[in-house]
Amino acid sequence: MTAIEVRGLTRRYSGGFEAVRGVSFEVERGEMFALLGTNGAGKTSTVEVVEGLSRPAEGTVRVLGHDPFAERSSVRPRMGVMLQEGGFPPDLTVSEAARMWAGTLTSPRPVEEALTLVDLVHRASVRVKQLSGGERRRLDLALALLGKPEVLFLDEPTTGLDPESRRNTWELIRSLLRDGVTVLLTTHYLEEAQALADRLAIMHRGRIVAQGTVSEVVDAYPSRISFVPPAGVSLPVVADAEPSGRVTVRTNDLQSTLHELLVWAHHNGVELSGLDARSASLEEAFLAIAEEAA
Amino acid sequence: MRAVAVGQAELKLFWRNRTALFNSLLLPLLLAPVLYSVDADGVPLVVGLIGFALLMAVYYNLVTTFVARREELVLKRLRVGELTDPEILAGAALPSVVVALGQIVLYCVVVAVITGVELPARPWFLLLGVLGGVAVFVLLAAASSAFTRTVEMAQVTSLPVLMACLFGSGMVFPLSVLPDTLAKVLQYLPLTPVLDLLRAGWADGPVLKPLIVLAVWIGLGTYAVQRYFRWDPRR
Repeated sequence: MTAIEVRGLTRRYSGGFEAVRGVSFEVERGEMFALLGTNGAGKTSTVEVVEGLSRPAEGTVRVLGHDPFAERSSVRPRMGVMLQEGGFPPDLTVSEAARMWAGTLTSPRPVEEALTLVDLVHRASVRVKQLSGGERRRLDLALALLGKPEVLFLDEPTTGLDPESRRNTWELIRSLLRDGVTVLLTTHYLEEAQALADRLAIMHRGRIVAQGTVSEVVDAYPSRISFVPPAGVSLPVVADAEPSGRVTVRTNDLQSTLHELLVWAHHNGVELSGLDARSASLEEAFLAIAEEAA
Repeated sequence: MRAVAVGQAELKLFWRNRTALFNSLLLPLLLAPVLYSVDADGVPLVVGLIGFALLMAVYYNLVTTFVARREELVLKRLRVGELTDPEILAGAALPSVVVALGQIVLYCVVVAVITGVELPARPWFLLLGVLGGVAVFVLLAAASSAFTRTVEMAQVTSLPVLMACLFGSGMVFPLSVLPDTLAKVLQYLPLTPVLDLLRAGWADGPVLKPLIVLAVWIGLGTYAVQRYFRWDPRR
């Protein structure tokens, strides 16, 4: 069953700038879909329309079968949102902010339970203004989870978190996915998408330029072998040289190219210093897409 | 009422905000002797104090509250929750309105005891004036907040409404001392019809025209809020 359906979404700002140009994707129930992209690619602009904060200029959006803008009251009780930048009154304590939010919800979980999920119980009586940036992100996540959402929107959820909190947040998101929650994530941490997402889309200048599972997106890009050869040798494979002397070989068949290279080096007694061979990663695919499109 | 949850949080914030406490609770105590010295009669005194409560406790407080919540990104956060837009505004306005209504009741009692003014003969006009006044100044505060970038700027952007109403609505001195044409124009200020209705609660006075002017202001305020209110900071 489809939880989120976006068709030909275009968003225009009042100045006429098109931030999103004909974006389409679907997110199945219980799936995590990640939107990636450079700054200004249109991720947040897209997500805000899906959340129902604004009406699309063109195209249609359905969340759990409803129009999130026109039918806000039927969709909102079933979704949780963590904005890229959301705020709480600085002079409220953590538990006061959470209780206020719970009071606005149809069927909230206990405040204590939500704070436990994000590991903020020990900070419950601290004023919001005294929280660290990472703690504020976790409070925001706790509020997004307070309404026991079926669909969860996470816009850069781990920005500003230390590595341990980030891992804990990933674990929490995984357990939500196991419980059948649908998640739409935007992030600029590619490893986050790689670790969590079932499927993803890469956006660039308002368009989706690649979409699929992580391996579908990554497989379209070559693996890399790089090393520093001794000066003056001619290599058996095509390689790009950097001024530092390091060369990079791009290949769609990592195993045989690497084999060929190693056999050649062995026979000729050539040392390939700093040898590094790796399959394409999401990061490489991402950078290649950003470069191609630039 | 889900908006009450926001209102309760706002009430806590109100008690933690010294500026708001001073403006709403102490400033009227400084004004009372001035009004009393101008006219020792009970009705102008209580009408003036009610007008002042609407201006300071409702209007000025709420301009700063709306701007502060917008700049803190609180309004933006609330807007992705279950509350409707009017519920969010009502929740944010709730404590200021409650504090103002409490003050108004207190003024009525205290002034009645001190000056021995009789009970209002037509209390429904008094009630209509107070409720209409609250509605107008909540809406005007929300509209003014759209033109106010920071909490500090609220001191400047609220001045036109504050000054015009303070001196032009017959609160500090009666409009009858002014030239006729000017007095006629000033009848159309948002606070003037409110004060007219309050006076009509105690003594006879025209009510139809004030009611119409007040209704027009409520309409204009609603339009301005729908058209101009900003939920997130200008970036």
